Amino acid sequence: MELHSLHFLAFFAVVFVLYYLFRKKKVVQNVILLTASYVFYAIASIKIVPIILLMTLFFYFMGIEIDKWNNKGDEDKAGRITTFTIIVGLLPLFYFKYFNFFYDSFVDLFNLMGLHFHHSVLKIILPLGLSFYTFRLISYAMEVNQCSINAEKNLLVFATYVAYFPSLIAGPIDRPNDFILQLHTNREPKYENFVEGLKRFLWGWFMKICVADRMTAYITATAVGVDNGATMFLVALMGPFRTYCDFAGYSHMAIGASRMLGIVSAENFNHPFFAQNISDYWRRWHMSLTQWVTDYVYTPLNFKFRKKGKLGMILAIYVNLFVISFWHKASWGYVLFGLYHATLFIPIILRNVQAKDLELKWIKGWLLHPVNALKAAGVYLLVTIGGIFAHAETLGDVAVGFKSWFAPWGMPSLHDTYNIKVFLICGLVIVIKDYLDELGTKYNILKSNKPIWVVLGLIVFAILIFFLRGDAPQEFIYKQF
Amino acid sequence: MERNEIIEKITGIFREVFGDKNIVINDEMTANDVENWDSLTHMLMITKVEDELGIKFKLKELNRLKKVGDLISIVESKLQ
Repeated sequence: MELHSLHFLAFFAVVFVLYYLFRKKKVVQNVILLTASYVFYAIASIKIVPIILLMTLFFYFMGIEIDKWNNKGDEDKAGRITTFTIIVGLLPLFYFKYFNFFYDSFVDLFNLMGLHFHHSVLKIILPLGLSFYTFRLISYAMEVNQCSINAEKNLLVFATYVAYFPSLIAGPIDRPNDFILQLHTNREPKYENFVEGLKRFLWGWFMKICVADRMTAYITATAVGVDNGATMFLVALMGPFRTYCDFAGYSHMAIGASRMLGIVSAENFNHPFFAQNISDYWRRWHMSLTQWVTDYVYTPLNFKFRKKGKLGMILAIYVNLFVISFWHKASWGYVLFGLYHATLFIPIILRNVQAKDLELKWIKGWLLHPVNALKAAGVYLLVTIGGIFAHAETLGDVAVGFKSWFAPWGMPSLHDTYNIKVFLICGLVIVIKDYLDELGTKYNILKSNKPIWVVLGLIVFAILIFFLRGDAPQEFIYKQF
Repeated sequence: MERNEIIEKITGIFREVFGDKNIVINDEMTANDVENWDSLTHMLMITKVEDELGIKFKLKELNRLKKVGDLISIVESKLQ
């Protein structure tokens, strides 16, 4: 059930009504959320429900055990139990997501060495949401171990945190520290929550339906058997914006749905294409994942390597980006993606400018300074190059991807002009909105919650989405991760 | 070492690592108040504090630091 489907709207409407019918009973509200989450999950595939259930129970009991030893003052034992918990917790992810990659890579290596190996291709399918809720669980174990939170003794609350359906498909990866607290309160219906949530939800839907799906249709139709360097370069340039509209669109919908339920979910994007260097970009893109890896991988490694100064930092960054890229997909393309992005950090770290000159300057209070605009364009180009690695399955695919840019340049393919016009105009609306957000909230026309503007906005959105929706609704890109 | 001496030492370290000769630290100061204080420069600062004050932090202790006052207090406790 996709968040941008009518089925989900109907499903959410039922959950919403029941949820607020019991607004004074937080236990019942949590039962409704948990039941809805498991139904949502079972609709995808009932066979995978035991995985999330077993992992929830395992981390629930291990969390209590970690807490117990911390309270007894034996931090070393608590640490060992945490390590054990995380290793076991990663096993399903390793099996479903990475087994094939390592198995195939070893087979290829043996074949290269002349040890011919016959094997059948294993078709292991990644269960929906596994990457996301595994990271939610690991975050929980780490925070309990660090004594940032107490172990959650209420199994209903804990299970709801893990399986929470708006974030199940593609995040955000909420931290337990803020999220679990909210499940311990009665969530009363509030006009502001409903309106803000609805606006976010519709905005995300707009980004997905009117821009991302349209761009995907164009890219898919255009990039096959084309021998025109200009077209291939243009398609590559479209990639980051298309992914942004798809993934940020999903995030807006998930965050909006949560807000309508009176729950504040983590933010996931902060206008990444205004980034002034690659470090800034990673602080604005898929923030819940970047922050997760920074806190649980980069910081401990950076701490361990701290005596090595900037060299230690660079090493930690390489591991950091490797984890981020491998989290996405087990492929040689993504390995190169991680190496590429980590390498981009080196000059920034050596010059110590990761946090320098990031503030955007405005001319006459509204026009982005040309230097900022150029830096942002440069970062966008760097991200575009990274996209070639990300979309490649093999090293050969990487070579083909880059080589295609150097085919003879002619007029780019402009078939399907209607599709192009729709995503160009709608894409411009998104760019303008992000620009206004960066400029400052007083220029943000979507900030008003007055009923008249809300009703007008709903009418406009209904028209836009109905008439401008793509013919072939696409799955969210990040669902595959 | 007295608290004032610790504050003086840490101020010097902050000025050097974050590249601002005018920084004046206070208990409530956080990374949001200092330009160039991010996860990268944070570790440089921590390493310098360890080296210049002859102490060693644990990762758990670092994770509990929310503001400069917490840093000063933990350094104080380690030097007692």
